[in-house]
Amino acid sequence: MRAVTFYTESRTKDKVIHEQFKWGYVLSTIFRWLLPLNVTVRKNPVYSVLTYTFHICLLAVPIFLAGHISLWEESIFAVSWPALPQNVADWMTLAFLGIAVFLLLRRIFSADIRLISTFSDYFLLVVTALPFLTGYFATHGTLNHISFLGDNMMLFHMLSGELMLILIPFTKLSHIILFFFSRASAAVEFGRRGYSI
Amino acid sequence: MSGEIIPRTIMEFLTPRLGARLKTWLSICAHCGMCADTCHFYLAHNRDPKMIPSYKIRFINDIIKKYGGVDREYLQEVYKTVYYECNMCRRCTLYCPFGIDIAMMISLLRAMLLSQGMAPQGLLAAINNYKESGNQMNISDEEWVETVQWIEEEMSEELVGLTVPIDKHGAKIMYTVNAREPKFYPQDMMEVAKIFYVAGEDYTYCSQPGWDDTNLAMFAGDVKTARTIVENIFKRADELGVQKVAVTECGHAFRAVKYEAPGWLGYTPKQEVVHSVELFHDYIRDGRIKLRHKVKEPTTVQDPCNVVRSGGLGEKNRRLAEMLSEDFRPMKLQGNYSYCCGGGGGAMPMGGEMKKYRLQSGKIKAEQIRETGAKIIFVPCHNCIDQIRDLNKEYNLGVKAIHFKEAIAELMVIPEHMKPKEQAEDDE
Repeated sequence: MRAVTFYTESRTKDKVIHEQFKWGYVLSTIFRWLLPLNVTVRKNPVYSVLTYTFHICLLAVPIFLAGHISLWEESIFAVSWPALPQNVADWMTLAFLGIAVFLLLRRIFSADIRLISTFSDYFLLVVTALPFLTGYFATHGTLNHISFLGDNMMLFHMLSGELMLILIPFTKLSHIILFFFSRASAAVEFGRRGYSI
Repeated sequence: MSGEIIPRTIMEFLTPRLGARLKTWLSICAHCGMCADTCHFYLAHNRDPKMIPSYKIRFINDIIKKYGGVDREYLQEVYKTVYYECNMCRRCTLYCPFGIDIAMMISLLRAMLLSQGMAPQGLLAAINNYKESGNQMNISDEEWVETVQWIEEEMSEELVGLTVPIDKHGAKIMYTVNAREPKFYPQDMMEVAKIFYVAGEDYTYCSQPGWDDTNLAMFAGDVKTARTIVENIFKRADELGVQKVAVTECGHAFRAVKYEAPGWLGYTPKQEVVHSVELFHDYIRDGRIKLRHKVKEPTTVQDPCNVVRSGGLGEKNRRLAEMLSEDFRPMKLQGNYSYCCGGGGGAMPMGGEMKKYRLQSGKIKAEQIRETGAKIIFVPCHNCIDQIRDLNKEYNLGVKAIHFKEAIAELMVIPEHMKPKEQAEDDE
């Protein structure tokens, strides 16, 4: 929805970008930045490995988790697709959570990042990590000895997942969609100068 | 620079200008910090977190949150950040995972300050001159035409048959200059007169406003004046029926005329805009100009942000330097990803108030130049060349900064029939 209003608004306000639009530049930039084939990866290899892994896990685990797919099978859509082996999914979840902790600590302890961080940067990181944390607990029964948590972990898992999904359009999580628009506009801006970024 | 700030006026200024791109950027910046060490200010200030590009534009969201309720002191802080801490070189954009154009937002903040009567004196003076006379140095039309005629007189003594056409209808190219050239650096125009004559270029100057291609109004976010300036240029080009508009070795002028003009005007002008680097490059590549010899001393080349990163001429700029040099030594970062010299974004025309800051932020470029060990640096930009000459003194680089045209005019082969009699005899 936000993407659509932005798009229509940009047609009137950023005419140049639309006039000069070329798929070549747009696709090449999205290709380079979706895959780790760009200048920033070369400049910050460690951070890039972590953030790429973070995003891959963030997308892959919820979609390819056997437990989630079986819900799709039971739903009215009755669709199915191959699942990740359970132990791979577990490791990916742990990797994801580890990186999330790293990102949080980096935000807190790096003078640079602390200065530029706003409340939503911390908040959304926690929101994004919660479904994974609760999902892991729910699957492994880690906290089952605390009866209240054990009984309701699945509920927490669903609620935190829903919270994250609901927040996407209203927060910077919207970059899941707007990433493509932003990159496209930058690609055209430099593309009309004859080079691809 | 005083008086009450009315929040409504700030919001009325900002709201219509926050297009979809800006809103997207403001809402998705993840504050990842990847832009930090791409900025020469950050590096030159010992990695001061306050110099992180994404931090510098925090004011926009803040002002919106406050519905414009800020005071003069606050705007003064904005002023310091957007003028003293950013050259709008756009290097950070190339490293941003989202491709966020910080410079564009800095530009918006500068425009907002202008709407509240705040802008550097140096830029305001230039803007007034543009409004009065159409050029930044307030040169009258008569003076300008006389200068061109004087240059023709001078140069026709050096080369037989040389003319400097003015208002020549149907010429292929309308050549435009930086108003500094007629005012302070007529040798620039003399050199280019020689080069065009030897290359057999069919060009012309125009006699009326439009001959100055600079656009300092752009740096202060004064879109109205910026538009008038480019409007003049293309009006003259239409009148003279030229196919191309050529821009002198100036960076921001090229960017304004070629890439910003369509946005300001609301249409794409029909004349192609070319930069001197392209012209010179093609002359030498195509053999229209031959060199007696190349520069023997080690050379390097400056990539002005607005010629290269925002002008797309990285390849030709480097190739031209290579064709002119026996010992070309590229900087560690050459081309689109090169560092800004610290003189861009209006830093030079801002004059004294900026000097301290630009000498400091130029440290990174100075180091890059020093590492090459070059003795000559080609600089196809008026702002860069002043800055690099200052850096040369400040950091003892031992280089000589010259425009390409100086080297070409000096080194090119003058065909026999163009040599004056005495000189031709001397040569024998």
